[in-house]
Amino acid sequence: MSLPERSGPPDAGPAPVGELGDSTAESPRSPVRTTRRRPSWALPAIAVGVVVVAVLLAYLRSGSTDVVSQAVVTGILVGGVYGLVAMGLTLIFGVLDIVNFAHGAFLTVALYITVVMVNRFGVYPMLALVVAVPVMFLLGAAIQRFVLAGAIGKPLENQLLITLGLALLIDNLLLLFFGPNPQSVKLPGDTAVPIFGAVTTVSRLLAFGVALVLAALLYVLLRRTRLGTAIRAVAANDSGAQLVGIDTRRIYMTTFAIGTACAGAAGVLVAPLVTIEPTTGELFNIIAFVVVVLGGMGNVVGALVGGVLIGLTEQLGALLLPGQSPLLAIFLVFVLVLLFRPQGLFGRTS
Amino acid sequence: MRKNWIVGLALAAPLALAACGGSAPPGTPGAGGGGGGTAGSGQTIKIASLHPLSGSSAADGQQMDNGAKLAVEAINNAGGIASMGGAKLELLSADSKGAPETGQSEAQRLVQEGAVAIIGTYQSAVSQNVAAVAERNKVPFVIDVSSADAILSQGYQYTFRLQPSGTVLADQGAQYLSDVSKAAGKPAKKVAILHEQGPFGTAIKDTFTKKAQSLGMEVGPVASYDPAKVSDFTTQVTEVKASGADVLMVAGYYRDGVLVAKAVDTVKPTLNAVWGVANGAFDLPQFAAEAGKAGEGFFDANYHLNGKNPQTQALMKTYQDKYNDQIRTGAVLSYDAVRVIADSLNRAKSADPTTLRGAIAQTNLESLVAQKGPITFSSTGENQGAAPILMQVQGGKVVQTYPQDFAETMYRYPATTGQ
Repeated sequence: MSLPERSGPPDAGPAPVGELGDSTAESPRSPVRTTRRRPSWALPAIAVGVVVVAVLLAYLRSGSTDVVSQAVVTGILVGGVYGLVAMGLTLIFGVLDIVNFAHGAFLTVALYITVVMVNRFGVYPMLALVVAVPVMFLLGAAIQRFVLAGAIGKPLENQLLITLGLALLIDNLLLLFFGPNPQSVKLPGDTAVPIFGAVTTVSRLLAFGVALVLAALLYVLLRRTRLGTAIRAVAANDSGAQLVGIDTRRIYMTTFAIGTACAGAAGVLVAPLVTIEPTTGELFNIIAFVVVVLGGMGNVVGALVGGVLIGLTEQLGALLLPGQSPLLAIFLVFVLVLLFRPQGLFGRTS
Repeated sequence: MRKNWIVGLALAAPLALAACGGSAPPGTPGAGGGGGGTAGSGQTIKIASLHPLSGSSAADGQQMDNGAKLAVEAINNAGGIASMGGAKLELLSADSKGAPETGQSEAQRLVQEGAVAIIGTYQSAVSQNVAAVAERNKVPFVIDVSSADAILSQGYQYTFRLQPSGTVLADQGAQYLSDVSKAAGKPAKKVAILHEQGPFGTAIKDTFTKKAQSLGMEVGPVASYDPAKVSDFTTQVTEVKASGADVLMVAGYYRDGVLVAKAVDTVKPTLNAVWGVANGAFDLPQFAAEAGKAGEGFFDANYHLNGKNPQTQALMKTYQDKYNDQIRTGAVLSYDAVRVIADSLNRAKSADPTTLRGAIAQTNLESLVAQKGPITFSSTGENQGAAPILMQVQGGKVVQTYPQDFAETMYRYPATTGQ
């Protein structure tokens, strides 16, 4: 499913017919889509083909099946985390059209919530979700209502700068309250797990599994509930949504809150995997933006698939191009995708 | 629509950099020359401490600033600068944010506010810019931490460095590996290298490779990574495992060091040692705590505070009492940097920066850091006494193990991790 990007300020005129109700890239019912696109199997086939070729090349290069299978397993699992972080970001972008630079900072807040819960109250790390998700939901709602709402309809730079300022503010508040020393969260019973000739850890598998569950929940929320329908309506055309009686201000607030809650969930899940410092969230920011654009802006499933793709690219790229930054391979793939599919892998053609 | 946000992004990117980079207040105009060099007896002498107090290196930066504060306090409590009628020191602390441009503008501001000497700055890129400011204003700059050789290869007269340079660290790191592994009866044969891709990691890798090969070791495979982005090392460590290397050399920072330990613990390669060289993680008490058993047995050849020196022990206790935190070596180097300046002021009997520079060049002072001799400066400004020592994580603690003079306990080699 995808959330088409907002079709602009009211004076830009209504969105073209066929986009309003059609928010699924993979919907076979859309006559507009089928006339414009390659057959639906083409894209996955190309993607799988590219991955297979990359795996074969990596094998030729390293000459060890262990190394290649480790790279694939690690790539998929790390990619799941990237996708998880990007999900909230893509939701906010799809509906509110905000490029949210504070997303990484929100994630850091959740990391510190987890630190406090685990290290002070001795809670099992994953149970911190129960606190972090609602807290981040409320924080997101408050920030949208009191800080960002005023910037709606104003030039994009305003929102960009506000979120950038928020990120700096949050980073430095965390520095003030928690100090600069690195913190960590340990998952009890976090041991190595063999999987397809490779090894990984319980915490990584758990993060990946919950990322899948979360993506499924978001999908159901957006596709099967009244709220989700309203969100998709606002994403497709906000003035149209207003005309049919949807309270768009409330939808904006709720969507931003859901996106922030996603960052909160991601924070709890990655807590055992990272060193926790006030700037930790920034690590994920750039990759998350790449994943969002790659997967198709506003597309939650696209974010997950994009994340896995980036994870694989990073790991296999490091094998194929030794001595180069893994980011080289990532941006190579990024540029190629933008060249041939500027709307992203799962994006709607515009 | 899409064009809109791309334009927005393009607009925001430089602004983002500006937001991270430039909030230095404007200095007083026209106050060039040597700054306030007129502090005399009974007056206060201003020394600048320039470190990354915010941003990703804030933990180290704040420690170092605290170290400098403690040194100033100790010197003032002991009666100030004796030869200048007990003149007191005053520390001007500034935040470089780890950004070269900010470091540069802050250094200029501090000089204009009357600092007669600068200490800092942790990041080599920042130190490089500050050294240029110091040279232009003829104000001495004592580097506590920054390893890049390039900083002192410009022929600067006003810049001095306390920590061993990257070349010395990597050279000695390879030498120690050869010495220790041979003495243990399992000479290192094949060394795999994992290094961060910046100038620091690459320089260490190059020097280490040359030295290790000259000592008869084979080097490879070599992998680099981006320390700001990396999130997992299992693939690289699996590659090391498949290559049959018996030692893994790691040159990097804190966060990536912890990830390496986790990956080694997961993949369990057959290594005799994980060997840090100038590693930003393996010799920190925080690392031993965070990595737990995954980091047990890890080595690091690095500059380090001298835990056997009673003065250092007293400083460690003072720091713990005052800041409720274990002191890091960086903070001890900042402490030393202030001591070098105070000692030089005492001998120069003047706070004139040019005279002070001459006195610093003549320094001969015992260090609180483990060194092979007292602090003396070469003609290029390198500390000739500086040398790395070998630390190992043993029983969840970082202990000094080699050379013999500094050894608190015997090293354990081979040290297969996770056992």
